[in-house]
Amino acid sequence: MSSVSQELKDTSVASSKWLDAHYDPVANLYTFSSCIALSDLHGDGENKLVVGDLGTGVCNMKLKVYRGTGLLSESTLLDLPTGMVSFLMDLHEPRTPAIAVASGPFIYVYKNLRPYFKFTLPSLEVNPLEQDVWSQAKEDMIDPMTLKEMLEGLRDKAEIPLSVRSLRFLMLEPQEMENFVLLHKEQPIRRQTVITCIGTLKKNMADEDAVSCLVIGTENGDVYILDPEAFTILYKMSLPSTPTLMDVTGQFDVEFRITVACRNGNIYILRRDSPKPKYCIELSSHPVGLVRIGKNVVVGCSHEALHGYTQKGKKLWTAYLPAPVTTMALMDLPTRGFQAVLVGLANCEVHMYRDKNLVSTIKTPDVVTSICFGRYGREDGTLIMTTKGGGLIVKILKRTAVFEDRDSAPGPPIAQSIRLNVPKKTKLYVDQTLRERENAVAMHRAFQMDLSRLRLAAARAYVKALESSLTPMSASLTEPLKMNAVVQGLGPSFKLTLNIQNTAACRPVMNLAISFLYDENLYSMKTAFFKIPLLVPGLNYPIDTFVECLSDKGISDIIKVFVLREGKSAPLLTAHINMPVSEGLALN
Amino acid sequence: MEVRVSMEPLFLAWSSCRRRRFQRCADICSQLLSESPCDQAAWSLKTRALTEMVYIDEVEVDQEGIADMMLDESSIAQVARPGTSLRLPGTSQGSAPTPAVRPMTQSGRPITGFVRPSTLSGRPETMEQAIRTPRTARPVTSASGRFVRLGTASMLTNPDGPFINLSRLNLAKYAKRPNLSKTLFEYIFHLENDVKNALDLAALATEQAQFKDWWWKVQLGKCYYRLGLHREAEKQFRSALTHQEFVDTYLYLAKVYQRLDQPITALNVFKQGLDHFPAEVTLLTGIARIHEEMNNMTSATEYYKEVLKQDNTHVEAIACIGSNHFYSDQPEIALRFYRRLLQMGVFNCQLYNNLGLCCFYAQQYDMTLSSFERALALVSSDEEQADIWYNLGHIAVGIGDLTLAYQCFKLALAFNNNHGEAYNNLAVLELRKGRIEQAKAFLQTAASLSPHMYEPHFNFAMLSDKVGDLQSSYMAAQKSEDAFPEHVDTQQILKNLRQHFSTL
Repeated sequence: MSSVSQELKDTSVASSKWLDAHYDPVANLYTFSSCIALSDLHGDGENKLVVGDLGTGVCNMKLKVYRGTGLLSESTLLDLPTGMVSFLMDLHEPRTPAIAVASGPFIYVYKNLRPYFKFTLPSLEVNPLEQDVWSQAKEDMIDPMTLKEMLEGLRDKAEIPLSVRSLRFLMLEPQEMENFVLLHKEQPIRRQTVITCIGTLKKNMADEDAVSCLVIGTENGDVYILDPEAFTILYKMSLPSTPTLMDVTGQFDVEFRITVACRNGNIYILRRDSPKPKYCIELSSHPVGLVRIGKNVVVGCSHEALHGYTQKGKKLWTAYLPAPVTTMALMDLPTRGFQAVLVGLANCEVHMYRDKNLVSTIKTPDVVTSICFGRYGREDGTLIMTTKGGGLIVKILKRTAVFEDRDSAPGPPIAQSIRLNVPKKTKLYVDQTLRERENAVAMHRAFQMDLSRLRLAAARAYVKALESSLTPMSASLTEPLKMNAVVQGLGPSFKLTLNIQNTAACRPVMNLAISFLYDENLYSMKTAFFKIPLLVPGLNYPIDTFVECLSDKGISDIIKVFVLREGKSAPLLTAHINMPVSEGLALN
Repeated sequence: MEVRVSMEPLFLAWSSCRRRRFQRCADICSQLLSESPCDQAAWSLKTRALTEMVYIDEVEVDQEGIADMMLDESSIAQVARPGTSLRLPGTSQGSAPTPAVRPMTQSGRPITGFVRPSTLSGRPETMEQAIRTPRTARPVTSASGRFVRLGTASMLTNPDGPFINLSRLNLAKYAKRPNLSKTLFEYIFHLENDVKNALDLAALATEQAQFKDWWWKVQLGKCYYRLGLHREAEKQFRSALTHQEFVDTYLYLAKVYQRLDQPITALNVFKQGLDHFPAEVTLLTGIARIHEEMNNMTSATEYYKEVLKQDNTHVEAIACIGSNHFYSDQPEIALRFYRRLLQMGVFNCQLYNNLGLCCFYAQQYDMTLSSFERALALVSSDEEQADIWYNLGHIAVGIGDLTLAYQCFKLALAFNNNHGEAYNNLAVLELRKGRIEQAKAFLQTAASLSPHMYEPHFNFAMLSDKVGDLQSSYMAAQKSEDAFPEHVDTQQILKNLRQHFSTL
């Protein structure tokens, strides 16, 4: 696919803090912030953009490398990437970083853009009972149905969860089970977990180009720290839930801190020398993005809010956002000592927050799904964003740009100063109030008398309507029904839809029938009387029937519908249908 | 039978025609024609009399058929720019009252004070809504519908068959005789509603007149309009205007533009017309109507006031200004306008209905209920009766008599089974009684009967929220938001629900 590059030049460029370097709306990049990194892959002092492209989620997963505005290389990934980092794994010269792509239970390590190593997560302990059951199945001692029952029993009781194979087996239809067992019974059972997030941790030096360890979080709630050269597990920690977002700081040999946002909506802070989380932050809604600024943690939550916490889990502030968060990233400009959080929002904006203050807003042509800020090429302050539609946006921070910190909520709310449009008191109104004041007693009497008469008239009409069941809802307590009729069609054939509903709380209604009253010279109906089924309360029963108009004179009439109860002559309720004029014959 | 020698019969016929005794005129002419079948004067007079009997002002008659609306070829942009289309609801310029204050029609426009063919029916969004016929039937095309009914009605009254047999008519012969062709055309167009033959005749006649007769061009334009050939109609009307400036032609031209959904052009046409015919009432009314349909109530009221300066008995202008005052919270002024209508001799159920409501909201309680009593006495159809009971229900709610309100709303439903507003209000009353199932059913019915109303959706959202069915509440609130995006309470409930969904 050829890429269309486009320079956006508009009037706001002059006042903006960003230069629009590149925008390609059809870059065909579908990725998230966890799968995007900037790295000097070739050691030539020029940073490349490395993207783990998710493709369609089923195929076209690729590892793409961009230089400048062009694609440098791409290599196919076997499975969906869940995370990608670039890290230095040894001290050999030239110091070229490796790329680690996590997908499934594996970490693929690339060096010089070539596959270098594949790390597999250690397999988990398998339930011995499950093993037993499968070995019985292998020897054909039990049939698939018994196998299913036993596995279901295990699933409900056992402490160690079932393997993927057993779970898949339980999902199958009975006729497919036999084949599945035949196909898989020879292989041993394994229980494998998958990687959910990945990060890096400096080994023993805080330098920019120090050797880093990989830190991975897995589906079953473990966090592993891997040795950068041998890829052995150096340290293992466990969490109460599955980690989704991860931030790592410190050095492995000295002191480190891993902040992990988990799927149960909690954030755990892990430290060296404790295999269990040290602090826990309970959020009120699910975390969407996690960024650490200095010693504080900023979390974007699904209920459109941004929270700031200290390292020890103390809440500092909350900022409310205009739209849901799609992604978050850190903006770190060490040369200027400036740090901020970039928050991608679902309303096509990227907000920049410094603490709880909004310092800048970037409007984007599409919803941003991933953000990465850093050195790209030879430019230090480059902002790279990919969009929901697969676009790639590159912006460069102007060197003159200054971000002013200001408190975002000064003074009273704007609504206070909006004047309400209250109509003026007219002279007429004043006159009328005068009249009211002078003749208050007479007016009151007249009104009260009229009101009594109205009550009487209404009651009479109401009783009449009830007695002849004219209303479209029945008044009886035993059969609280409601009906409304809809006519459809142009004629001469019309479709009548009677929507009948039982409005009782829990009692069904039965033994009902429907009959129609109409002018037989004008309309004909195949069945003018039929029974209706038992009516379950709360459900709408649409009953269709067809009416034929016999006249070609363009006349219409009313059709009356009665809902009757067996053994009672008076209808429960009546609906009047104003039939439309039949157009069908008139047009011919 | 004794024949009295009196006036010359043809003169008598002509005189009765001028006195609008058309049946008598036609009878005399028939007699004359039976004596001398070739009497052109009598023939022409009879055609005229017969036409006048069923004549409807062509400018006012406008009913968009289902086919015209659903299979619209002339619409270009699906989403028109605000303020340029009559079809897009919500193209208000901020001066329009919200639906919370002033009820909406199905097309998303505030209801007007005067019922016109185009105000009756909104534009349905789906075919299903289009062919559903809750109140009045919508014709298939604008060429059928009302016109067919009129045509067949004239046939019904004439058991011997039609006066002129169109299929045997030699149109070319008649086209050459200008004294006969015009009456014949009107007969074919208005009485027979045979637009194709009328078009043929008009085409031949305009050719005979060497394309210089503005009258024939206007008639051609009318025929094209009826056939749905709007651009051709526009051409004919424009050409007619170059020959002769005429108010009617301007009105027809503006009507074409309104049908083409070009309200701005229509306004320009009206303004051109006003340059030639300053302060012409029909043109001013046209402008006011377009402003009203585009939700621009302030301008509409200004133009209606202009109309009233010229013609202080203009019913439509008085009614529209009155209703606008009523909905902008000045019922005492509205009362003045409606009283004026009453003094002018407009004496119907709707007017008393409005008077009653105005009296109530202007705190003139002694006259409120007696107005409604009169309205009830003047009722001519079930629908009117339903509307009166519905308004009485509102009064009852206002004075806090909920039993009476309940009875009134139920009566409204008894008379008009498709009264969505009454269903909605009844549901609220049922909810207050604690009958949740009933309330739910009524709200669902109200929502299905009048999908343009936001109230049933909002009430359903509130109800579901209260009973804990948050998913239904959210869906109903979204529908309510579609119907009335600025509704603060809906926004509030949506916000609460979103928060509820995202919290752990």
